[in-house]
Amino acid sequence: MRKILAIGRVNTVRFLREKSNIFFVFVFPMMIVLLTGIAFGSGFDAKVGVHVAGDEGPLATQFVTALDDLADISVIRYDDPDRMLDAVQRGYTDGGVTLPEGYDEALVSGGTAQVEFVSRPDQGALLVRELVLEVVTDQARPVTAGRFVEGTGAGSLDEASAFAAAVPETVTVKSRSAGDSLFEEFVDLGQFDLGASQQLVLFMFLISLAGSAELIQTRKLGVARRMLSTPTSSRTILLGETAGRYGVALTQGLYIMIGTLLIFQVDWGDPIGAIAIVLVFGLVGTGAAMLMGSLFSNDQQAGGLGVLIGLGLAAIGGAMAPIEIFPETMQTIAKFTPHYWAIDGFAELVRRDGTMVDILPNLGVLAGFAAVLLTVASWRLQKVLTR
Amino acid sequence: MTPDNGRVLEASNLRKVFGDLVAVEDVSFHIGEGETYGLLGPNGAGKTTTISMVIGLLERDGGEVVVAGNPVTTKSTTAKAAIGYVPQDIAIYPDLTARENLSFFGHLYGMGGSDLKRRIDELLEVIGLADRADDRSEEFSGGMKRRLNIGIGLLHGPRLLMLDEPTVGVDPQSRNAILESVERLSGEGMAVLYTTHYMEEAERLCDRVGIIDEGQIKAEGTRAELVSLVGQRDKVSLVTADHAQEVAEALASHPDVVEVSGNESGIDLLVSGAAAALPALLQLAAGAGASVTSVEVVEPNLEAVFLHLTGKALRD
Ligand SMILES: Nc1ncnc2c1ncn2[C@@H]1O[C@H](COP(=O)(O)OP(=O)(O)O)[C@@H](O)[C@H]1O
Ligand SMILES: [Mg+2]
Repeated sequence: MRKILAIGRVNTVRFLREKSNIFFVFVFPMMIVLLTGIAFGSGFDAKVGVHVAGDEGPLATQFVTALDDLADISVIRYDDPDRMLDAVQRGYTDGGVTLPEGYDEALVSGGTAQVEFVSRPDQGALLVRELVLEVVTDQARPVTAGRFVEGTGAGSLDEASAFAAAVPETVTVKSRSAGDSLFEEFVDLGQFDLGASQQLVLFMFLISLAGSAELIQTRKLGVARRMLSTPTSSRTILLGETAGRYGVALTQGLYIMIGTLLIFQVDWGDPIGAIAIVLVFGLVGTGAAMLMGSLFSNDQQAGGLGVLIGLGLAAIGGAMAPIEIFPETMQTIAKFTPHYWAIDGFAELVRRDGTMVDILPNLGVLAGFAAVLLTVASWRLQKVLTR
Repeated sequence: MTPDNGRVLEASNLRKVFGDLVAVEDVSFHIGEGETYGLLGPNGAGKTTTISMVIGLLERDGGEVVVAGNPVTTKSTTAKAAIGYVPQDIAIYPDLTARENLSFFGHLYGMGGSDLKRRIDELLEVIGLADRADDRSEEFSGGMKRRLNIGIGLLHGPRLLMLDEPTVGVDPQSRNAILESVERLSGEGMAVLYTTHYMEEAERLCDRVGIIDEGQIKAEGTRAELVSLVGQRDKVSLVTADHAQEVAEALASHPDVVEVSGNESGIDLLVSGAAAALPALLQLAAGAGASVTSVEVVEPNLEAVFLHLTGKALRD
């Protein structure tokens, strides 16, 4: 046991002694979390489709412009109401507004107009609906007030206001929903929450793979063989080398977790569950690193390939963009990556308030990945070392 | 545990095949307490392959190794505890300091705590790195790295020390320091297996030498035993001012002179027992009218033995 720790410690020390590693482990991930937090979390930016039925009068145009001018909303016009609906259902837009035929007329003449708002059953859509309602009301108020003034000749301000308050009866907004909820889970997330768990998974794996270069160096330097010449079994050496990689992976994972918690107040959900994911996912990264370290004999090649594999799996597994926006086939493919299961586990903890029990399936799959990788790697390394 | 008859190492009938190449064949030798055994042979002779099988780093295709009464296999750890192995290629972590490297391997030899600390300080003195102990070894000269490489093998005070060409690429000073420490350790009772392709080192250090070539031990014994294989034929070189031809003819008549050959500056003779024959030879030369300006007698060495056994030079 002491030997395993000695080997593990030397590995971790060597890794952290490399200055570029310090940057990649401690500085870079925080920068990325910060940047994605700013980019993703700078508030709500919704796309809203608008369909104007019949002839478009000046008031309808004014409505569209007013809606588009809102900071958080950009308007996409649709001539075909079906296509607008389709865009909502597919999640391309966050809501669709239909101005009824004779919208202008109704406002001017004092008739009633029903504006239709369609969205997915998301909480996010509620916000969009509120904004649409506000624009409608804002527009209707001066128009109806003006009409009142016009009609009575010289009304008092009080009378005008009283009339204005009655607007919602004149123009109503009817909502209905279409399609499945998409971003419901994201609504409660803090600005940095979404990015942080993805970055944690991405970097933990990437840093683990980078550790494979060290293992190859140890082999190339002849140190691995020399270790075998001491009264140390190859099993102990393998466990020690594994412990070393694992130490690096855990350092990375816990650092991002604790760092983002302290700096960005990221919510990681149930702490026991969150740490459990880091512990098991760390083993997956370690297994992958050991396997690479046993398959390659050139540390630079392995390092470069490690970055490719690390980024590739991260992209496929949903560590770069939310898996929810992937097409269905890609969502299925994602399930073959450990990243998916780790991120899904964090999502369960954070967005759905899950506990350890809820993420047991995720932990199980990750443990499976780790077991397979570590077994194959040990078998390979054992052979490579006594060749 | 089998009784070791005072033998620290017993290797018998070692064999290793790499594909079509028989790298080591039927190699057997033994080393006793305080004895230094040398494997002398050119590059590619099979020294490293042999030593790797002895330490259990390489799977054998045949043969047995017993160290301090315990059989050695690639899996055995008991026997390895008695061995200090110094690989031919420097095997240290360049990004760790000398002290950290020693400490790391110390732990692998099962040491720890204050014992290990004390031992490391002691060793740093022995290998002359005390003042550079906390510098990263990548900053060391070749000789310093070699000495650290050796120090690691000495950490646990092994009964058997195995050094694989420890002086290759080393400055003369470091080299001498290495040879001296091997002599001292041997004097303290350590059994040493020493491989080299330098004849001088084998002659200086080794009680017994195995001459190895093409994977086989061609001859084995003390220096004197090996030299007697060539016969006690010394090389005598005479430099004469004149009458070289006559001198050569006169000398050839002496019964102990086996061979005569001339060169630009004088005459080379192969003589059995030069020490005894020398006065007579000088007389013969004087009788032929020549004045001899210099005489050199070279006794046969392991180089000559190697040439005799294999028909080629140790270093090519
Ligand atoms: N791993 C290996 N695979 C194939 N051939 C090898 C291997 N190791 C050594 N050899 C060959 O075995 C022979 C003996 O090598 P080695 O024991 O290293 O010689 P030495 O140490 O005396 O210079 C050489 O011909 C060498 O090329
Ligand atoms: Mg060699």
